[in-house]
Amino acid sequence: MQASRARLFKEYKEVQREKAVDPDIQLVCDESNIFKWTALVKGPSETPYEGGVFQLAFSVPEQYPLQPPQVRFLTKIFHPNVHFKTGEICLDILKNAWSPAWTLQSVCRAIIALMAHPEPDSPLNCDSGNLLRSGDVRGYQSMARMYTRLAAMSKKG
Amino acid sequence: MGDFYGRDWQLIIPGCSNDVHFYIISCLFSKSYRVLCKFFAHGACLKGEHCEFSHDWKDPPNNICTYYQKGACAYGSRCRYDHIKVSQVHSSVSSSSVIEHQTPVSDTVAFGNNRTTSNGAGTAADFSLSSSTYILPSEPVWNQELAWNHELVWNPEFEYHEIFGEDNVGQSIITSPSELSICSFAAAGNCPRGEKCPHIHGDLCPTCGKLCLHPFRPEEREEHMKSCKNKHKHLEALKRSQEIECSVCLERVLSKSTPAERKFGLLSECDHPFCISCIRNWRSSNPTLGMDVNSTLRACPICRKLSYFVIPSVIWYTTIEEKQEIIDNYKAKLKSIDCKHFDFGDGNCPFGTSCFYKHAYRDGRMEQVVLRHLGAADGNTVIAKDIRLSDFLSNMHLR
Repeated sequence: MQASRARLFKEYKEVQREKAVDPDIQLVCDESNIFKWTALVKGPSETPYEGGVFQLAFSVPEQYPLQPPQVRFLTKIFHPNVHFKTGEICLDILKNAWSPAWTLQSVCRAIIALMAHPEPDSPLNCDSGNLLRSGDVRGYQSMARMYTRLAAMSKKG
Repeated sequence: MGDFYGRDWQLIIPGCSNDVHFYIISCLFSKSYRVLCKFFAHGACLKGEHCEFSHDWKDPPNNICTYYQKGACAYGSRCRYDHIKVSQVHSSVSSSSVIEHQTPVSDTVAFGNNRTTSNGAGTAADFSLSSSTYILPSEPVWNQELAWNHELVWNPEFEYHEIFGEDNVGQSIITSPSELSICSFAAAGNCPRGEKCPHIHGDLCPTCGKLCLHPFRPEEREEHMKSCKNKHKHLEALKRSQEIECSVCLERVLSKSTPAERKFGLLSECDHPFCISCIRNWRSSNPTLGMDVNSTLRACPICRKLSYFVIPSVIWYTTIEEKQEIIDNYKAKLKSIDCKHFDFGDGNCPFGTSCFYKHAYRDGRMEQVVLRHLGAADGNTVIAKDIRLSDFLSNMHLR
């Protein structure tokens, strides 16, 4: 308990210091609970998610960093490895390949990388996975772009 | 010579039984009955091999708390010295007090007989006084010491220089320059008496920059240079290690809150730094969520290289050789500890021949293992585990 709190506090300070360094990620800690974080990540360029800003919710367990944080998308996203309804993410480093050397910041980077490189062979969103697996890249891209427009962009744009 | 002194004192100390005489004499002269030097035990005795106390770890230390003897020790049960009353341990206490008195006698012995003949009567008389006070069983040890010190200062017949004969450079009684002790003020960094100091000032040690090398004791010089160099190396490494951060808790390892945590955990196969507690916690954490033990828990959290063991170390290394030295020291240390699984042959160690701990039987014999190789069906050879008859019997099905 104490260890996880100390470590999260370290990460908080690091995030404050590094704010300008990574413009694609904006990590914010809940004001009253250091175990709850939210992040805003920018969709990577040259993907259907470009131009969108996606919100992630982090729930950090007390055994952190020995156990991975639970992360899910709050913003709707059409992606083979993200559950369309719950926002659950299928990513190995959040499950069996977790390592205590990962930080919340680096988890965000891993999620951005996952957005750029979907893994259709272990899908949580079967529709999206099937489109990619059947080779319909254009179909997947247009669906993903549509949902990005609908959910991840400000209404004005 | 001992005999001579023995007879001498027997005449001088009146009212003492022969046993007591013999005891005092044996304490004074036998090398085996020596107490461990307190300064040596703490790592630095300036007198080196000329110290009147023992520099042999096998000799017993004087562990009696003098404060307790005086009536009250502020540390109470937490005191690291023994809390025993004089009467309970007459022999050990008296041995310590005898050692206190040993100085003048051994010096006279060392500095030749001519002194003894001229001053012998006076010295021995003084000695007899102090000896007789200490022999009184009801007398506590600090009174004896006081009495002795008192004599030192106030008895005009007593030759002060006799005791600290080695302090006087110009005296003819000193046979060789190596008998001289060096000035401890100069060795500590600054001698207020400077040029006028009656002690010899040691040579400058190039490592620690102090005047602590005895000019006439080559072995001691060697010893100091060696230990000083090692200490210096350790300090340098410690300084370099200060900045190193653990990748799990993201804190500086040597700045952790509890002293037990201020240690690195080295992985055998890679060079990523962690605190010993962090890496051990991670490796021993329960594999949840389908984690594979070998590819996740036993792997380095950063590079995922598999390491089978963690080496605790106070310092971080900069070269492969330094790392190897740390590992070798660690293994050597473990090898001297008896394996609790092996249990002197009564138990069974699951690590077998790769165990880091000592596998020795009660009689000191080391375990001899002849590995049995079995040819497997696929042509590979495997190392056979201990096979016992009972293993076959338990698997046997009686028809």
